[in-house]
Amino acid sequence: MSAKRKEHVYSKRLDSAFLAVYNGYTFFLRFFREAFKGRMEFQELVKQCYAIGYKSLLLIGLTGFITGMVFTKQSRPSLAEFGATSWLPSLVAIAIVRALAALVTALISAGKVGSSIGAELGSMRVTEQIDAMEVSAVNPFKFLVVTRVLACTITIPILMFYCTMVSLMGAFLNVTLNEGTSFIAFFENAFEQITFLDIFTSVAKAVAYGFTIGIVGCYQGYNASKGTEGVGKAANSSVVISMFLIFIEEVIIVQVSNYFRV
Amino acid sequence: METSARKRSITVGLFVIIGIVIFAVGILTVGSMKKIFSSNIAVKTIFDDVNGLKPGNNVWYSGVKIGTVKTIRFLENSRVEVMMNIEEKSQEFIRKNAKAKVSTDGLIGNKIIVIYGGTQKVPSIEDGDELIVEKIESTEEMLAVLSENNKNLLGITSAFKTISKNILEGKGTVGMLLADESLYNDVDKTLATLKQASLNAQTMTASLSGFTAKLNQKGGLANDFATDTVIMRDLRGTIGKLNETISSANVMVSNLKTASADLNSNTTSPLGVLLHDESTASNLKGTLKNLESSTEKLDENMQALRSNFLFRRYFKKKAKEQEKEEVKQPEKVE
Repeated sequence: MSAKRKEHVYSKRLDSAFLAVYNGYTFFLRFFREAFKGRMEFQELVKQCYAIGYKSLLLIGLTGFITGMVFTKQSRPSLAEFGATSWLPSLVAIAIVRALAALVTALISAGKVGSSIGAELGSMRVTEQIDAMEVSAVNPFKFLVVTRVLACTITIPILMFYCTMVSLMGAFLNVTLNEGTSFIAFFENAFEQITFLDIFTSVAKAVAYGFTIGIVGCYQGYNASKGTEGVGKAANSSVVISMFLIFIEEVIIVQVSNYFRV
Repeated sequence: METSARKRSITVGLFVIIGIVIFAVGILTVGSMKKIFSSNIAVKTIFDDVNGLKPGNNVWYSGVKIGTVKTIRFLENSRVEVMMNIEEKSQEFIRKNAKAKVSTDGLIGNKIIVIYGGTQKVPSIEDGDELIVEKIESTEEMLAVLSENNKNLLGITSAFKTISKNILEGKGTVGMLLADESLYNDVDKTLATLKQASLNAQTMTASLSGFTAKLNQKGGLANDFATDTVIMRDLRGTIGKLNETISSANVMVSNLKTASADLNSNTTSPLGVLLHDESTASNLKGTLKNLESSTEKLDENMQALRSNFLFRRYFKKKAKEQEKEEVKQPEKVE
């Protein structure tokens, strides 16, 4: 009994949870250490930007367009109840710029990019490719993790800009089909209520979400174990944890931005 | 660099550049909306109550957005100083005596500052100027008035309720009008009479219509009256002459009246004496009587003269001439 107590400080689950947080923290610190140390793997960074950013553009663009259009369509009845359909552009723009664009981009990326990073690094870990890199004097952390995390941090905000624009286009299409609003009138109304704080907050969110997706995916893949099962688990955990963290970050960033808003 | 790697790098570069362009356009659009990139002047105004106005809210002049609220800060005596950024290109149109008020963008929209008024004689505003404020009733004040109105409305509806109750119970004039059956019967009869009257009027109208049709028929007397101008002219002439005759008759009657009045009043004139003096009348009667007897005697004398030999020859001659005349007269007739 006493030997068992010594094996776990609190309980097996709690110990492993705290250990995961600690490992995540050290992984996080190591990322910053490695990122600013030595030569940047620029080619790999471009390759990852291409894979993460450009390859996700169509999916995120399509999702953003549908989100904008559906959100406008669903918001109309509520505004029409008190004859305020002319406020639809500003309502939709606020929703898209402040929350929807960043969230949609992050959630889609978490599903697509996070899982792919987790699975890719996980399979490299279980097939001992990462160990082989270490042996061949290549820093696998800098080459695999830093490039992917940076690529996510750079491309997800850019994807969010695309998503914002395409969502607003979707909203415009719905508004112009129903209310016959012109392009200029729509965008005049839409941007009337948008502030710099909204834009910078959404950029900050996208950067945070991108970094989270990258770091969580890399952490889960880099620390994968137990063969092919571990690869699947790493991919799954990458998506679940990054999505969870995205919502936590959303709450925190909204609170902070509201502090500056007044 | 490999071709595929080069192609990938170009694609990523393009992807990033387009993304940054979208971001820049967003920033510039918001900036232009907030009039951040245009040259501004600062104008202040001091309100007692800003009704929830916030920094960043719009400033309108004649319905055009010309700036934004920069800062809001408290002054002494619970007054609020609002600093506004107004674009330089609108400066020349706003006069120093223009007024400012807090309003809303639409019925339930955002708070805005509306600048209005100002006269052309006064120079334009300059950086640091203070605008005059006009106090606008707040929503609370409007609601208070509405509340008072509601109370009045309640009083009015209560009064109406009492009135309608009295009417239903047949009280008062209106109630009697509604409840009294005899009144209803009277009204019913009146209406029946009115109906009959209207029927009669209808018949009369039909008759009038027939009559007017006849009037319009050519050749009729009335139509001639209405259309023949010669008859009317003659008629007018006749009436004129008749008027003249009547005037003459009036004058004659008047003269007769005057004469009879004179006769009645003047007893000394010959006719007055004849009419009024009884002794003269008896004398006249005696004279006439004497004249009658004298005439009889004269007639007798004349008969006697005819038999006298001195005048016998004259009378025979006269008788013969008369016979001759009588013989000639029938011949002329034949």
